[in-house]
Amino acid sequence: MASVTLDALRKRFPDGTLALDDLSLEIADREFVTLLGPSGCGKTTTLRMIAGLDTPSGGRIMFDARRVDQLTPAARNVAMVFQSYALYPHMTVRRNLEYPLRKRRVAPAERAPRVAETAALLKIENLLDRLPRQLSGGQQQRVALGRAMVRDCDVFLLDEPLSNLDAELRAHMRTELVQLYRRIGHTMIYVTHDQAEAMTMSTRMVVLRGGKLQQVGTPDEVYHAPANRFVAGFVGSPTMNFVAGVLTEAAGALRFCSSSLGFVVPDMRRAELAAARSRDVLAGVRPEDLRLEPGDGPGRVLVVERLGHETIVWVGIGDERLCCRAPAQAPLAPDQPVRLTADAGRVHLFDTDGARRLIGRC
Amino acid sequence: MIRQRIGLALYNLAVWALVLAIAFPLFWMLSTALKPNQETFALPPTLLPVHPTLEQFARLLRETPFVTYFLNSVLVGLGTTAVVIMVAVLGAYGLVRFRFPGRELIAHLVLFTYLLPAVLLLLPLYVIMSRLGLANSLAGLVIAYTTFALPFALWLLRSFIASIPIDLEESAMVDGASRMRAFLEVVLPQALPGVISTALFTFILSWNEYLYALVFINVDSSKTLPPGVLTMLNQNQNVEWALLMAASVLMSVPVLVVFAFLQSHLTRGFGAGAVKG
Repeated sequence: MASVTLDALRKRFPDGTLALDDLSLEIADREFVTLLGPSGCGKTTTLRMIAGLDTPSGGRIMFDARRVDQLTPAARNVAMVFQSYALYPHMTVRRNLEYPLRKRRVAPAERAPRVAETAALLKIENLLDRLPRQLSGGQQQRVALGRAMVRDCDVFLLDEPLSNLDAELRAHMRTELVQLYRRIGHTMIYVTHDQAEAMTMSTRMVVLRGGKLQQVGTPDEVYHAPANRFVAGFVGSPTMNFVAGVLTEAAGALRFCSSSLGFVVPDMRRAELAAARSRDVLAGVRPEDLRLEPGDGPGRVLVVERLGHETIVWVGIGDERLCCRAPAQAPLAPDQPVRLTADAGRVHLFDTDGARRLIGRC
Repeated sequence: MIRQRIGLALYNLAVWALVLAIAFPLFWMLSTALKPNQETFALPPTLLPVHPTLEQFARLLRETPFVTYFLNSVLVGLGTTAVVIMVAVLGAYGLVRFRFPGRELIAHLVLFTYLLPAVLLLLPLYVIMSRLGLANSLAGLVIAYTTFALPFALWLLRSFIASIPIDLEESAMVDGASRMRAFLEVVLPQALPGVISTALFTFILSWNEYLYALVFINVDSSKTLPPGVLTMLNQNQNVEWALLMAASVLMSVPVLVVFAFLQSHLTRGFGAGAVKG
């Protein structure tokens, strides 16, 4: 196992696209870090550069004190699970699992017990003599994991390994992966565009956008204190509501006003607003931080989505369309007039361009 | 309904007529090869040999240098196939996987050389071979055949290798294989149908080639089957048709055997090349 340091890592493709722009990151030994972002944000490129499959255009990659960015993939001692699983189609599961051991010149007598141990851990003992095409998606996924786990690697890389599975299996494999991580304790770098995977599995999340680092933090930090509007909107489902408004000061109180929402900024947060460049701001409110009261109000229920354990309600106020969570049995119906109140202590305020968070939840 | 049946019957008739037209010369070749000399020109001609004999085959093997020609053809065929496969597989991999300036230009230039008629290159190649001291040698023929089998082989394998997911070899490299090992152990087994069909194409091309073999080789000991058999039969003023038919049968056998065993790979190979390219 090893720590991983990315130092001002850059990648520009021959066609001029800047895929990664000065990414610096410290990943501790045995940490489970997720690289999260939309398509084209540079997360897979970062992973491929760590694996040695792409060459950085600038910067350094270190495993502990060892600089690895000029080494071949084989010399880096990493293991990787590909999105497509990349199982060797002409080899049985047993030979797939043995392959990395053979390549590392592990003695034949030692290979069989290692394969058996890995197969037992992943519950694929009965599949060892099958070919990959004879396996289901979930089984292929386990074999791919097994092939990565069968040898002692320094860093374990996973490139969207769950994205080809159906929703039920994905949820199941998510918990299995977390248990597996606890058991084997490798340094893991996991790439995903699914914020739920990142939130539930990792010890730290790295949010990327357009090749630039947006935020690094624990899932809690990223969810509750997003660095900017992009992170706030990308993490969390349903997504955060954003409302443009103005800060006005009256009778000693600082108040956020907009056509749809209004609240008083808590006194303890006012000092942070000194950094605000203008009085025009963007308020971000998570659906669970909006209180919905049926009755006379400016809002009108547009859609009610009953999910069983809760209800998602879309409310129209003026030109805005806001989303809020309500209890499962909330007596709400489309076209019903409602009043919305934001929990002022939990509202985030951003610059109007969304580049910077001014204040977050208390 | 009736019109449909008539249509189907006419269609079947046309197909069978075509099959007969193609198969009859082959049948006649085999039938004549099995006839004794006096029956070859018997009037009216016999469709099947009345007194079937292997006499012509025995004479061919005993009295003519057929075996030498046959071995030369096998050597040239296998040699050309080996060289073409080795160069084309590595070349196609390079053209597909590596990014370098002029990559597409090279691929198209290679195809362009395939478009030139073989006869156009005959004399320049002969001059080159003579200067290199390779005229009258099987090696010279192997090089010549390589020049016109390689472009097609390269294009066929290029589309084949392009259809193999790059993840496979990248995974092998992460697992500890060098690029060459990943290529040999992971990419090549996936490209096997393409390699087999390319090998078949190359072997048949060199096995049947006549013009280059005729011009390049003037000594009897180095002749391959197509020019060899023809000169062998022209030595006497009267052409020995039965002997010629026996030689033709023996010439066709290796190709038929190879075809029968690898036919499924051949169709898979050409199919993949056509669709995925």
